[in-house]
Amino acid sequence: MSALQTTKDRRVTGSGPALSAWRLVFIRELTDMWVGGKALVLIFIYTIFLSVITYVIASSSDLSLIPPKEMVYETIKNVMAVSLFIGLIIGADTLSGERERNTLESLLLTPSSRRQIVFGKFLAAITFWPAAFIIAIPTFKVLSQGDAIFSQGLFWGALLGTVMVLGYVGVGMLASFWSNSNKTSYFVSLGIYILFLVPAQLPGTAQTGAMGQFLQWVNPIAAVNHFLSKILVNNIKFSEFWTWLEAPVGFTLLVLGILFLYAASGLRLEEGRASKFWSRISRAMGLTVIAGLMLLSSASPAAALQTVTDPEPLQISISMESMTVKASDSVFFDTVLTNNTTEASPTIFVAMNIINLEKAGEPIDPEDWSPQRTQSIDSLAPGESVTLSWRVNAILKGDVMIYMVAIPQPNGQNVTSNPVASPGIHLTVTPFTRLNPGGVLPYVIGQPLVVLVGIYLLNRLRRRGVDSGGSD
Amino acid sequence: MDQKQDSNVSNSQPEILMAKDLRKSYGPRQALQGLSFSLKAGRVLGFLGPNGAGKTTSIRILTTMMEPELGHFVVDGTSSEHPEEIRRKIGVLPENLGFPRQMTGIEYLTYFGQLYGRTAAEAREYGWKLMEDVGLKQRARSLIGSYSHGMRQRIGIARALVNDPVVVFLDEPTLGLDPRGQQELLSLIQRIARERNAGVVLCSHALSEIESVCDDVVILNRGQVVAQGSVSEVIGRVQQSILLGSALRVQVPAVSFAKARIILKAIPAITKVSPIGEMEGWLRMEPVESVNGDASKAYQINNTILSDLIRNEIPILSFEVEGGRLHDVFLHLTEETIQ
Repeated sequence: MSALQTTKDRRVTGSGPALSAWRLVFIRELTDMWVGGKALVLIFIYTIFLSVITYVIASSSDLSLIPPKEMVYETIKNVMAVSLFIGLIIGADTLSGERERNTLESLLLTPSSRRQIVFGKFLAAITFWPAAFIIAIPTFKVLSQGDAIFSQGLFWGALLGTVMVLGYVGVGMLASFWSNSNKTSYFVSLGIYILFLVPAQLPGTAQTGAMGQFLQWVNPIAAVNHFLSKILVNNIKFSEFWTWLEAPVGFTLLVLGILFLYAASGLRLEEGRASKFWSRISRAMGLTVIAGLMLLSSASPAAALQTVTDPEPLQISISMESMTVKASDSVFFDTVLTNNTTEASPTIFVAMNIINLEKAGEPIDPEDWSPQRTQSIDSLAPGESVTLSWRVNAILKGDVMIYMVAIPQPNGQNVTSNPVASPGIHLTVTPFTRLNPGGVLPYVIGQPLVVLVGIYLLNRLRRRGVDSGGSD
Repeated sequence: MDQKQDSNVSNSQPEILMAKDLRKSYGPRQALQGLSFSLKAGRVLGFLGPNGAGKTTSIRILTTMMEPELGHFVVDGTSSEHPEEIRRKIGVLPENLGFPRQMTGIEYLTYFGQLYGRTAAEAREYGWKLMEDVGLKQRARSLIGSYSHGMRQRIGIARALVNDPVVVFLDEPTLGLDPRGQQELLSLIQRIARERNAGVVLCSHALSEIESVCDDVVILNRGQVVAQGSVSEVIGRVQQSILLGSALRVQVPAVSFAKARIILKAIPAITKVSPIGEMEGWLRMEPVESVNGDASKAYQINNTILSDLIRNEIPILSFEVEGGRLHDVFLHLTEETIQ
């Protein structure tokens, strides 16, 4: 070894300040993504999706069904769901894609730190999110219809969207880190996406009770959705509900911790880290986490059992038998509740029920059809009657039956009461359509067009600095 | 020959790459069983071996893409325990290197120049110089996606030089190129070694390339070095055991072919003279068995053949002993594995 001499110091040293590796990788990746790259395609697809969602939500709103708060909330929820998917796709391509295209080796052969390479790629991968959110702002504006929800939605949407996108891009990159091909990393990422998204889309009954609440709380997407609905729609204060952000923030910190503190420094040509022991442990842990989450998400809250005891005579009548209306029309009617007993009644709840006669009596959620899902009467004296007024918004065309059920409050824990049903209203709803619900049509058409023009201009700009010589 | 003179000069150069007892295994299979060799500045080292001999593993280890289980290596005074420092001193053209199709050639070189610590302006300026060196200046602003295979190989080599490396590793650089492209690239490789005073490790299956370009050679078989040294040394060393008594080949002009055949048949020490397949003007001669292993008899026959042809005024275009090429040495040393 002593025979070894240094030929000359060939280490490259710049005369001025050179950019750090993460900035160089970030700029390079950013250009790759946004100039003729996949980000433009994904953003275009996202814009189309956003337009469709906006139109559907605005159409529903046009039928006086969804207030602006809920429209903005629903749009933010959908924007985030699609953005997280895009984040996973982009993240999943970062490393395994380079392995697949044989371009990773030349990057790893440079003296740049592995962690800086991963960090630069991560920063570039999350740049789609500001673009996606900015594109959605006009939609929020038009759907909020001047409500203060616009600014609140912007704030919370941007904040929580950023937290979630950081986590999801990180998850995609981790999948990419441990995969040798995009096929594998996309498959794993899609699995993780479905795993977290599906429980959040379960019907309300599956999300109530202690277990249901816990499942929502522990699932980052469900927790964020729940938090947003409470803050934006139900006006609940942040201080009362901040604990619902523990899971999303914790999830993101955990993912980024694994990515940058453990995985990044071990980036290599082959998938995963060099240590077989840790690789096996990581895989085993991943499988355990996935299995655990699947087990949790498959659990559903148990229904409470009740026993029937003394009946209580009540009478409920309704002011209409049948009617034919157009979709978006409102129907007004009254119910009369009479206490036929010789004693004052307890509190009585009157609940509206709607079933679809065209679909074998499938129930329709009255919440979507009426602002008055239930009404209550404190007490009725013997022989006393009370009239309750109702409004139903016919949303969808079809043949439905509307009926009321009066439910006396049971006297104690181990007794029940005898609900009484009213005659039904047979409502026939004929179709009605409007082309520009809520004035969203210009946005719905304009957004994809603007993005297309942007793509065209970027490509044109790029072509300016490039010769168009063919191969020799 | 200029090349030989240059080689003699480069013999006085310091060793810039030294590998000592490198070992690596994949499960029960030992891919490398103690690789040791050295390379001097300004010289081209051919790295040979049949498939599975451990060439790729060796290159991966020497380029810090993989860690050896045992052993170490030193590049220009930097030990393999400092891979980041090693990466500053080496340039690599991996086999099957991928390229970003949406970057222009000059952008590509500028980017990598910056990753090695150059400022944007310096990296761009040096990138232009490299583009000129590899003959791509005219296409510097074209997208790499529009480059031919040969052009991609050349820009791959340019990328390997962005940090002015001490040692350059080139893995199958001429694979898939047409003969002219191969020749141009081989000249470029020689220039890299001579003009930049860099050591070049050239992995190739094309043994004629190695023989024509390389100063030194390492032949691997089943993870072990079976021969190493200068090309002439390796050929000469093995030659002793395989050459004496081997067939001889001579090339003459087509018009003299028939006459040459008659003259050669008349030499008593030659048992058989036959044309070689489709090789125009080539004749193959088999010496009598008594020559086998006897150096003085073998050399005497060579001289007789040449003098008889010259005396009869037949121009000699080529003359060689079968087994005297690197190709023959390689086959001899790796025969068992190839079979």
